[in-house]
Amino acid sequence: MKRFTRMIYKNPDEMVFGKAKFPVSQRWNIQIGAGYVLPEIKVAPVEGSEESKEKMVSECRNITQSACDRAVAIGLPAFMLEQEHIFQQTNNPEWTAECTQIQAETLENYHDEYDIKISLRATPADIRLEERSPGLRESDYDNKVMESIEASAANGASDVAIETIGGKSVSDYGIARGDPKAILFGIGVLGSIDMEYMWKRIVNVCKKYDCRPAGDTDCAQANTAMFMAGGLLDKDCSHTLAALARAMAAARSLVAVECGAIGPLKDCGYENPIIKAISGVPIATEGKNAVCAHSDLMGNLTAAVTDVWSNESVYHRQEMGGTTPEVWLQATGYEAALMNTALQTGQEKVLRDLYTLTDKYRDPQGLVLAYDNAYRIGEAIVKYGNDPYLRSRAAALEAGAIINEAVDAKKMYLTRFERDSLDSALKIFEGLPAESDQFIDECLRKYSRKIAEFDPKSYEL
Amino acid sequence: MSYEELENKMDQTFIAVRYNVEIEGAAIKPEEDLDVVNIIPTEEPFRAIALAVLYEDRDASLANVEKALANDIPPIDIINKGLMKGMDAVSLLYTKGFYFLPDLMLAGDGMMEGIKECEKVLGHKSETKGTVVSFVAEGDPHDIGKNLVVMFLRAGGYEAIDMGRDVPTVDVVKAIKEHKPIFVTGTALMTTTMTVFPKVVEALQKEGLEVPAIGCGGGAVRKDFVESFPMSVYGVEAYHAPKLADAIVKDKKTWKDLRKEYADIVGEFVSEYS
Repeated sequence: MKRFTRMIYKNPDEMVFGKAKFPVSQRWNIQIGAGYVLPEIKVAPVEGSEESKEKMVSECRNITQSACDRAVAIGLPAFMLEQEHIFQQTNNPEWTAECTQIQAETLENYHDEYDIKISLRATPADIRLEERSPGLRESDYDNKVMESIEASAANGASDVAIETIGGKSVSDYGIARGDPKAILFGIGVLGSIDMEYMWKRIVNVCKKYDCRPAGDTDCAQANTAMFMAGGLLDKDCSHTLAALARAMAAARSLVAVECGAIGPLKDCGYENPIIKAISGVPIATEGKNAVCAHSDLMGNLTAAVTDVWSNESVYHRQEMGGTTPEVWLQATGYEAALMNTALQTGQEKVLRDLYTLTDKYRDPQGLVLAYDNAYRIGEAIVKYGNDPYLRSRAAALEAGAIINEAVDAKKMYLTRFERDSLDSALKIFEGLPAESDQFIDECLRKYSRKIAEFDPKSYEL
Repeated sequence: MSYEELENKMDQTFIAVRYNVEIEGAAIKPEEDLDVVNIIPTEEPFRAIALAVLYEDRDASLANVEKALANDIPPIDIINKGLMKGMDAVSLLYTKGFYFLPDLMLAGDGMMEGIKECEKVLGHKSETKGTVVSFVAEGDPHDIGKNLVVMFLRAGGYEAIDMGRDVPTVDVVKAIKEHKPIFVTGTALMTTTMTVFPKVVEALQKEGLEVPAIGCGGGAVRKDFVESFPMSVYGVEAYHAPKLADAIVKDKKTWKDLRKEYADIVGEFVSEYS
């Protein structure tokens, strides 16, 4: 596996939405990152659809059909449909096969009739449980995940993505307790080890089919920090610590690309701009058109260098403007149209900068993901590219420096809680060993004892 | 215009206001907060024990408890007059917005460490306000919400039986039979796993069992769904759990009462119940 030790983008100003250094081509005449932005729609199956395979297949068909109808009705040239699996789908790969097949057939009919460009993303659920023997590796659940990935690839998915959960037991402990060392160990070390285990296999499966290995997201860890950090008045996680967790997540999610994933990286990976800067792969992101799924503090900023603009997730139900696959594809579709108009008229850098500046100083989490700062974090990562621990630590330290510079420039203001937790985290990170083995030994001693769910065997440690 | 020029042209406060910074008052020592003064005991060794919890110092907490036990202070008094008082103050500072979740978790760790030490001397589990069973729905691996609920319940003086995640319905029913809880909490992140909740209720009804309430919450869980079956109440925030449990224990509230009086019981505006 070749690690990234150099930046693919030579400067941050090269980065813009709709264009990636290495565009991806898929079936149904679609290219991603090749000069236009795709809108994405994703809808959570309705409660009760999990009761039988027939219900689930029907649900998948209905969501797909609704999305296609609205895409054609409002003249979208292209879109992506993503199906994030429910537990029962991944746990029963024959469900995966039939659901993917009906979605692919429906999409193909529209492609044939209207020549609309379409991408079908399958995202099997990572249902592995670390605390249940034999843990993350070679358990029944592990096998089901891989079978489900193969069933997706074999039955018409344009690409597969996943949200792997390696290291979550430790990072959850760290996020809840404001323990930066646990977060670094959970995301930077354990997450990276598990990504390698998963992604080498996923890439091999995809090679057998006309299906692209797309990417991973640190949803299980950095997004846990972000969701717990919540709004400005929430009290569960420091926003500065969540910003550092995001920077570390870039070092972790990059492993998928190093194993052979080619993008577009998955939408809820808020760390994706950093990975795009390092690797040149196209990315999916989400922001203001994902308010149906959750709140964040960077609704515009995340559009700045995106290639696929997503709604994240929404209940499958009716709203005044139609069913949710229709309504929310329309929302992401019109935003993508704005970006594509900017690309056509040569105004893309202006729009990129406006997107960025609306949210750059709203919160430290957005600040570190502004494309110029994302690039800086990318540079810190590749400097230590060969060592997952050191590069995650470097990412966190750079994110901390970015926040401190903005504070010194009186552009970013922090609460005492944010200030104290940032100072404390940076002090801890600066004092950590320079050797990965020593850091891992220390963490194994400390966290194996404290966290019942953490099983070092799951990481071959 | 370049990116830098655009940025320098902007008045940030015209675009976004960090209200959390704007509203922040002066820093004071936690034990000097006017409400905390009334909670923390003045008498030693209980004051030192309570303050160690308040300052989230696990090692000091343990050392203080060991010293008090060596001086023949009754373990029940150490728990009730020292450790629990410290935790009450921590919870209060959390609800007032001065303390944050990590403060609660670390203080909770310190309190539990001290309680375990006391229980060794007692020879049995210390008395709690009641037992609560907490589970994550079958098929759902997302457990941070449940972990928070368990922590808040323990901090609130309840014995929380933590059943873990992806828990089969049959095991939930078994635990309810065994522990006879005053309250049950179930969490799920997905639309298609929250459907476990009515199945738990159905299984309990089949066996002729009833609990005062099953609090159901988590990512995709909706109030209208939870209220479509009996015995349940939609839980909005993890820290509401001990308040709901208190209403059941102290005021004999049922799931029907909790649904009607939720915002009053938790003592704040709750958008979902407005």
